[in-house]
Amino acid sequence: MVEMNNEDSEIEPSDSDESNNEIIKEEISIQFHLYIIIFFIIYYISWVIPGFIFWLYFLFPFRIYFLENLRFISIFTDFQSLITLLFMPLVIIMSYLLHLFLVGLITKFIWGITERISPSKSGIIPRNIRSRAANYYHLRGFMVKYGKNTFIKGIFPWLSNWFFNFVGSNKIGKNTTLEEAVGMDKFIDIGENCYIGVNTNLASHLIQGIFGNISYFEIKVGNNVTTAAFCNVGPGSEVFDDTYLLPLASTPKHSVLKGKKSVYFGIPMRRIFRKKIMEYLSVRPEDLERNANIEGYKDKKLLKELKKKESIVTEKTDIIPKKTTTIGDLQEEKISTDPLTKDDLMIDFTTSSAIGRVNIKFLIVYLPIFWISGLIVTILWYWYSEDLVSGNSFLFKLQFFLFFPIVLFGLSYIFAIGCIFFSKLLLLLVNLIHKPITGIFKAEIGNTDYEFWMLRTEIKKIGLWLMRSSPFPWTDVIIFKLFGVNMDTSSHLSDTWCDAEFIKFGRKNLIGQGATIMSSMVVGKYLLIQDVIFDDYVMVGGHAIIAPGTIIGKESVIGAISSTTYNQVLDPGWVYFGFPAIKLKENKYAEERRDIIVKRQVDEAKKYTTTHEVNIDKDKRDLIKTEKEMKES
Amino acid sequence: MSVPNTMRVGPFTPTVLVKKRYLIFYIFLIWISIIPILLGFWVYWRISWNYARPVHFYTFLPLVAFLMYITLVFSSIFFAKTLLLIVNAIHKPREGVFLRISEDIDYRYWSLRNTIKRWPIWLAHRFPFPGFLDNICFKMFGVKTKISNSLFEGWVDTEFIDFGKDVVVGQGAIIQSAVIVGNMLIIRKTVIEDYVRIGSHAIVMPGTHIGHNCILAANSVTTVGQVLENGFIYVGIPAKKFKKNYFFEDGLEEKISTVEDVEKLRERYEKVYVKRKDELTRKDRREIKKEKKEEEKKRFDIEVDDDKYDDFDEMSNI
Repeated sequence: MVEMNNEDSEIEPSDSDESNNEIIKEEISIQFHLYIIIFFIIYYISWVIPGFIFWLYFLFPFRIYFLENLRFISIFTDFQSLITLLFMPLVIIMSYLLHLFLVGLITKFIWGITERISPSKSGIIPRNIRSRAANYYHLRGFMVKYGKNTFIKGIFPWLSNWFFNFVGSNKIGKNTTLEEAVGMDKFIDIGENCYIGVNTNLASHLIQGIFGNISYFEIKVGNNVTTAAFCNVGPGSEVFDDTYLLPLASTPKHSVLKGKKSVYFGIPMRRIFRKKIMEYLSVRPEDLERNANIEGYKDKKLLKELKKKESIVTEKTDIIPKKTTTIGDLQEEKISTDPLTKDDLMIDFTTSSAIGRVNIKFLIVYLPIFWISGLIVTILWYWYSEDLVSGNSFLFKLQFFLFFPIVLFGLSYIFAIGCIFFSKLLLLLVNLIHKPITGIFKAEIGNTDYEFWMLRTEIKKIGLWLMRSSPFPWTDVIIFKLFGVNMDTSSHLSDTWCDAEFIKFGRKNLIGQGATIMSSMVVGKYLLIQDVIFDDYVMVGGHAIIAPGTIIGKESVIGAISSTTYNQVLDPGWVYFGFPAIKLKENKYAEERRDIIVKRQVDEAKKYTTTHEVNIDKDKRDLIKTEKEMKES
Repeated sequence: MSVPNTMRVGPFTPTVLVKKRYLIFYIFLIWISIIPILLGFWVYWRISWNYARPVHFYTFLPLVAFLMYITLVFSSIFFAKTLLLIVNAIHKPREGVFLRISEDIDYRYWSLRNTIKRWPIWLAHRFPFPGFLDNICFKMFGVKTKISNSLFEGWVDTEFIDFGKDVVVGQGAIIQSAVIVGNMLIIRKTVIEDYVRIGSHAIVMPGTHIGHNCILAANSVTTVGQVLENGFIYVGIPAKKFKKNYFFEDGLEEKISTVEDVEKLRERYEKVYVKRKDELTRKDRREIKKEKKEEEKKRFDIEVDDDKYDDFDEMSNI
């Protein structure tokens, strides 16, 4: 589930003391130049034509008939002026849609080229051996990201289905709804009439340790499958028709869910039956009966009658059960703090650090930052478009249109960098007044540490926010570094919620998609701030939660959807999993056989192993052990 | 603290589009809400534009752009709210269990409401001053909330939710008032009282009533219609009582302690979290193991390791 985008190419000397000497530990080379070229091709072409249309409309009819109209009333009385006004929003929408279409078209084109060179096929790709398969796997992952971001974050998220189908990275059936999620960009086959809920991750690829494997298998999802929210399904899984997943139902790779109108729940996922379903969803037997025989209810008249009947019943008996437990007041029973045991005050659970509210007072700080950085942008824009309105040269106008996407990209970054620069200055000033320290503080107005923590968070928010919603969101590492997180570009935060202070990254840390890294935590009335330290080559799985004070040893792996507790120390070289994370097994993914996969049937709780071809170039075959070699030897 | 780039997160509405023609409403809203901005821009252009030296125009453009964005949000809220009032007058939004088919009127109108709300909420959430416009959107579209709440980094539904004051919703937490399971759409009113802390990646299902001073830990799920008692810490899938919450008491700075024996804690957690092994008896487990062994011998001629079948094996790799 962890996906990586940018890493340096350096060869790490293998540990010769403990492990076998045969194991090759090599890091994959990432072709930065190719990534940037591909990104700019997509960005340039997708903006140049919509930009041309928009500016042509702006300069010719809109400026002449609307903006040059001298009286307010004549805007509405003059026909031409009114028409240009009414058409302007439509032109904006049309150019935006054209932009989306072009993103799809160019991504499809480049995707097609990479597929010809090295077709994407399922299999295990060794991560510590350089190969073409791995390179093109990364390249394709990067390529589809820009399109995915613009579609899913944009105004028309419904078009993302079209995008995936058109590019060919996923197959998505008719009437299927995809909600926002961190993964799900390639190698997924979803049937018709499915609902894939918020932040559900159908991960067709996962990485098992920095020197481990990439499992890259297609996920097949049948028709009428619904996943409520936050479900995780591993690569190679097969989800058959009419499977219903409740929130947080997660399953590892190569699982088979038989479906047939059954409901699954929990981590690891298991099937629940009628009584439990009714308990968890508080539905009546009639609802379940309707759910099972949905075909019989596809009739408007029948449903109308049923609803009428039910509304009479509800008035009398209350279908919805009212609160059964009366909630007593905590204030009444005063608890003296003395007899509290150590257990009572132990932080053995994890919460969150999201104090996201921004005081309106901060607008006073924000506005000048915006204005000054905006001024830099407008001055540059003025310099660029100086002769556009008055100048008559056709060549100049052409130049304006041709360079428009580059200027757009540049200005959006100049604005962001301006904001970051000024917020950094402000941050330095604030830190001079009050030095940030770790510890336990009261989360109340009046506590200076708490107030300054809030202030710091709010100052940092704008820069991080702008950088992460910019066209090139992978540059967030620079901002994190600037704001006091100890990290370099070899580490990668792929779509994580990450606090921006008291975190130290080592070399080549991979943080999974949708993970949360907190150096601060709000527990009741208290704010805990503690350092989080990652050693080298640590990997954190998707949707994992790292609590403040966690120290993770070298080459350790934290499994997906697991969480650590406050001040937990994890030993080096282990795979951790669970709530709270405990040792699961030693991290030996670099040494494992790469052709064996374990499949599991969730319904019968069965597992069995099968072999699979390793996805690697022919000339690299001798570097890995497979079943054939084992038999020969 | 920072929102992942592939997630819009924030208050958001489901993207279910029952009928494609609902998009007409959506495009209409975008169209009509841009027009007041253009009129505003006309005024600004008339006041400050000068072909020879547009100094004033460019100096105040950033501030005006900032104001124009806010006006755009307000105008879109205004038009969306008007449309929503009309739609709600035709069919009143209500709680209950509905069917996920286009024939069901409640499902259709739920989808229509979400489509209408999407544009203003999208705009409000894209605003680089976090939380300020979102709260206005919430209040306008029927979520009771206070400015002291921090809901910005979670995914919060936009109707049938009541918040108390000083509520913290964690990173990536999901607070729903409507959920789709199979062919059912369950809409229930969710109530979250004062001083509640919701952990990151926790999921609050529709109909949950969380009492005040509660903590719902990270990675926990409540069930539909569950009631969490005042002043307790809840953990688990589904959420169960973990211990009493003393963390709202004063003067505990020195006393708060950390876990030393993680393995022991794990045992405590195992009672709370649902585990597959609990459901099977020993006999069942043995039988399953036998079956597996036989099957594997037939299929692959591989010797089976008993230790291999640990429950959480491979789970780490999702």
